[in-house]
Amino acid sequence: MTHTVDRSELEELVYETCARLDEKDFKGFLGLCDPAFAYKVSAYAPEVQREMTWLDRDRAEIEEFFGMLPKHNTDRNPLSRHAQVTKVRLDAARQRAEVTSTVQIFRTQLDGGATELFAVGRYLDTISLQADAPRLLARHVKLDTRDLGWGTHLPL
Amino acid sequence: MSRNSMQWRQRPKLPPTHFADPSIYSDPDLFEEEKEKIFKHAWWLAVHESELPAPGDFRTYRHPGDAQLVIVRGEDMKVRAFLNICPHRGNLLVYAPSGNAKNLVCIFHQWAFNGKGDCVDIPREKAGYQERICRNDVALREVRTAVSYGGFVWVNLDDNAPSLESEIGSALDYMLPELEAEPMQTLWYYQARLKTNFKLIHDTNSEFYHDYLHIYNRITGMLKPDTGYFQRKYTAFPGGHASVGSMNVSYESYKSSGRGQLGWPHLAPNGWKLVDLFPCITFNLRTSVLRIDSYIPVAPDDVIYEFRLLGLKSDSPEIRRQREKDSAVIWGPFGRNLHEDLLASSGQGMAMANGSEAMYVLQAREEDLTIHDEVGMRHYLAEWSRRIGRSSSDPYASERLAARAA
Repeated sequence: MTHTVDRSELEELVYETCARLDEKDFKGFLGLCDPAFAYKVSAYAPEVQREMTWLDRDRAEIEEFFGMLPKHNTDRNPLSRHAQVTKVRLDAARQRAEVTSTVQIFRTQLDGGATELFAVGRYLDTISLQADAPRLLARHVKLDTRDLGWGTHLPL
Repeated sequence: MSRNSMQWRQRPKLPPTHFADPSIYSDPDLFEEEKEKIFKHAWWLAVHESELPAPGDFRTYRHPGDAQLVIVRGEDMKVRAFLNICPHRGNLLVYAPSGNAKNLVCIFHQWAFNGKGDCVDIPREKAGYQERICRNDVALREVRTAVSYGGFVWVNLDDNAPSLESEIGSALDYMLPELEAEPMQTLWYYQARLKTNFKLIHDTNSEFYHDYLHIYNRITGMLKPDTGYFQRKYTAFPGGHASVGSMNVSYESYKSSGRGQLGWPHLAPNGWKLVDLFPCITFNLRTSVLRIDSYIPVAPDDVIYEFRLLGLKSDSPEIRRQREKDSAVIWGPFGRNLHEDLLASSGQGMAMANGSEAMYVLQAREEDLTIHDEVGMRHYLAEWSRRIGRSSSDPYASERLAARAA
């Protein structure tokens, strides 16, 4: 069934994915994703003039990735993702939408509560319109920030 | 039973080679000594030649001896390094981290220099300087450069330092077949600024007892007797370098490892080799990707960690993607292991900050040089002590004696 969509629904989907990840509600996040979901994080390195792909996962891999998270030592300071949808392109023939957002990710210290900017970049999302509600089919997080300090295990 | 302050700061009842005074990781004066006695005389891995493939290509490098460098491939295809400073008024010659230019031209007054460091243009030269200054007087300062061990570009500020080959000795021989099998290509380069001491991160690369930090390494190695995990041995080389023997990593034991069947020329399938070089460079070849860690110490509690990932120049886009994927599972800013390593090293930096009541650091494990032996750290600090002229377990002994005599 093809879903008739307006921009606000697509925006809400993007913002809801941020909220689910902020809450570390990975099951909720995957519930917003298509069965064929793919996730990628990349950044361009001007030093070597190359695109670096730091994460590249299909849905099964990302589910396993989430499943292993509790077994790792990891930074517990929460991240908060602030996205702003800037462009929506509907592709009616393919029942998809291409949605671009700018995103800033902040990290708040559990000890003391100071907040620092962790990363800036863009979400390049492909959203499927084939189901009864829009579903995230692919997310490419294209980072401007490359120095992420000690890094993180969490998707951005 | 807990310890009081005096007990806490008591020297361990161990040979002095088996513990370190915590101040070597935090004292600003010792850091300045490291800069003068080590950083300014050591060979540093600055870039890889694949980052400068064409004539006129350049890369910048922040040298730990407080110098800004620019590394250039000349028209003759030779790679040379220069101080990144215009001899006229001391401006940076090159601002961008990479690029291509027929000549390096200072933005300030347009003085221009070729890939050999010669000054080739001074605007209105005769009008201003007449015959008092000529171009030959104002060439760039060239820094000793060597391209070796798999196409890495090494630099040394000290014109009289021993050669790179004599400094490395035979430490990299173990990995040379893999390093020199085929031309390599830098796939990733990024930096991470960390609030810790550079030696603490290098320590982490120099001992594998810390595999208790990594579930990935536990289940793909430590808990699998057939991998040869506990049989791996350290080999210490003159100059503070050390290598670790290979093993057969059991990648299939970790769900979501995402590993393909890709390997590396001459390396055994699922193999892993690692070499630590003094003062802080690590060559880490893990099955399908070569990772290079190099550090730029900025202050005793501040270090720029440089991460490089290399594949082969002949890689197709599909193979390159798989190498990146293999790496991303454990390394990179989202990798399972690297994040854990950097958390721990940063935690050490915070806990042992200058002025803290830090204890002597133990490096006392002896297990017949096998993988949980801490000989790598001991060997490193023996070389550090030799170069600094102070014992790492008692760095202020001479001052204490002088004070007593006074």
